[in-house]
Amino acid sequence: MTEAALEIVDASAGYAGRIVLDAIRLSARKGELTAIVGPNGHGKSTLLKAISGLVPVTSGEIRLDGSRIDRLRPDQIVERGVIQVPQGDLLFPAMTVHENLLMGAYANSGGAAERLDFVFTLLPKLKERRNQTAGTLSGGERRMCGIGRGLMAGGEVLMLDEPSLGLAPIVIEQIYEVIFNLRREGRTILLVEENAERIAEHADMIHLLDNGRIAWSGLGAELMARPEIVETYLGV
Amino acid sequence: MDVLIQIVASGLTLGAMYAVATIGLSLVYGSLNMLNMAHGAILTLGGYICYAAIVHAGLNPALALLAAAFVCALVGLLIYFSAALPLLRAENFETNIFIATIGIGSVIENLMLKGFGPYPIPQPLAVDGQVVIGNVHIPLQNVFILGVAIVLMAAVAILLQRTSTGRAIRATSMNREAAQLMGVRVGRVYAQVLALSGALAAVSGIMISSIATLTPVMGADPMLKAFIVCVVAGLGNVYGAVIAAIALGLLEAATQYVLGVRWSFATLLLLVILVLIWRPYGLFGKQQVVRL
Repeated sequence: MTEAALEIVDASAGYAGRIVLDAIRLSARKGELTAIVGPNGHGKSTLLKAISGLVPVTSGEIRLDGSRIDRLRPDQIVERGVIQVPQGDLLFPAMTVHENLLMGAYANSGGAAERLDFVFTLLPKLKERRNQTAGTLSGGERRMCGIGRGLMAGGEVLMLDEPSLGLAPIVIEQIYEVIFNLRREGRTILLVEENAERIAEHADMIHLLDNGRIAWSGLGAELMARPEIVETYLGV
Repeated sequence: MDVLIQIVASGLTLGAMYAVATIGLSLVYGSLNMLNMAHGAILTLGGYICYAAIVHAGLNPALALLAAAFVCALVGLLIYFSAALPLLRAENFETNIFIATIGIGSVIENLMLKGFGPYPIPQPLAVDGQVVIGNVHIPLQNVFILGVAIVLMAAVAILLQRTSTGRAIRATSMNREAAQLMGVRVGRVYAQVLALSGALAAVSGIMISSIATLTPVMGADPMLKAFIVCVVAGLGNVYGAVIAAIALGLLEAATQYVLGVRWSFATLLLLVILVLIWRPYGLFGKQQVVRL
């Protein structure tokens, strides 16, 4: 079995005394695509925020390559190589696409030129739009820019929070083609997605998050073979 | 024609002073959502430190200016660590820091009153001579102020646009959480912005006191005008603030000539009211046009 890059060990987290995540235990193995699926409002985004240090972990541990990161500041977690592409991309709207991508390399500027070439090769639309302000991009282009900005960090683990949210089906296909290509290249990806069907075939491991707890874990094919789980938790 | 030259020369000088006073205020609001009510007191402190450095310590004017900027940058840092940082962790930051900085400004003003007395003191950093354009004699001091302001504005623009630190400041002002996810240490950005704002306030205070006089409460009027510029430009919009400052300086100079000095401030306030009715976010406000 591949070594775990990111381990979440009985971690609980929440906002202002309200527990959203309750004793979560899962891992993202190196070079694999690990997916978190589940209904809206059940803690998927909070989990990524807790890993990134934006939401405090009240108990348990989060480890990267065996070292605890749950007591670190968000910038220190990024420096260690855990990069998040947040939901709704959260670009800097008044900055150009190029500046947004450079911000991705803020914590790790060494090799940024090579990574920029890689991003422009992977996402050629961004090269065309490099001098355009991010606020004027289309929804799909913004999402591409968000992923490109995440890749510019050159981190060890790339976390993507619902990259398909609010996009047209054809754009979603393009976005997922990019993500699956990254998986084939051996990137470690932790992906949050509401639609289990979309990623079932490609995910190495799927965890179903329900009411802040891991309700089920297994392979994508196993999940799709359990229609009662899919229907109960995901409403498909 | 001579009248026009006179108005433009006075207006640009006023606008340049307002711009330097406003940039810091605008940067702080843009990054922290913090209205720094101690800005006027810091501005005055800069003027007094320059005065003391030249008259009492015997420093040359350039070093005195740098010393004033340095001390006021430290005051900015002190405000961050003593007031902004603890209040950021609590609710109602905007209201609490507004009140806290009124208190800090009052303390600084009273310290200056105790240290330098209530009477006006001339600022020794002055440039003698004048340039003549047509029949208009423009004091070299005004040209000096304009030159310093242009250099400072260019330096701030280069910092914000061309450096990694500047991009971090802009990113933090656009979206704090996204900036954190890029590895920006926002606490450090806040401290940098308050230090920069303090240094700019010091230079502004020196320029203003060089064409007026030093008094412990001299910062109140420029701070009020800097707030007016900020509101007209759109709170937190640095480049808009520079344009608005120059425009308001020209308007003030024109109003003073046409209607008299007593009407200039009333005209500025009327303009603020009209701008807020027309565009509540200011002329260059933060509302972004985003394609869906």
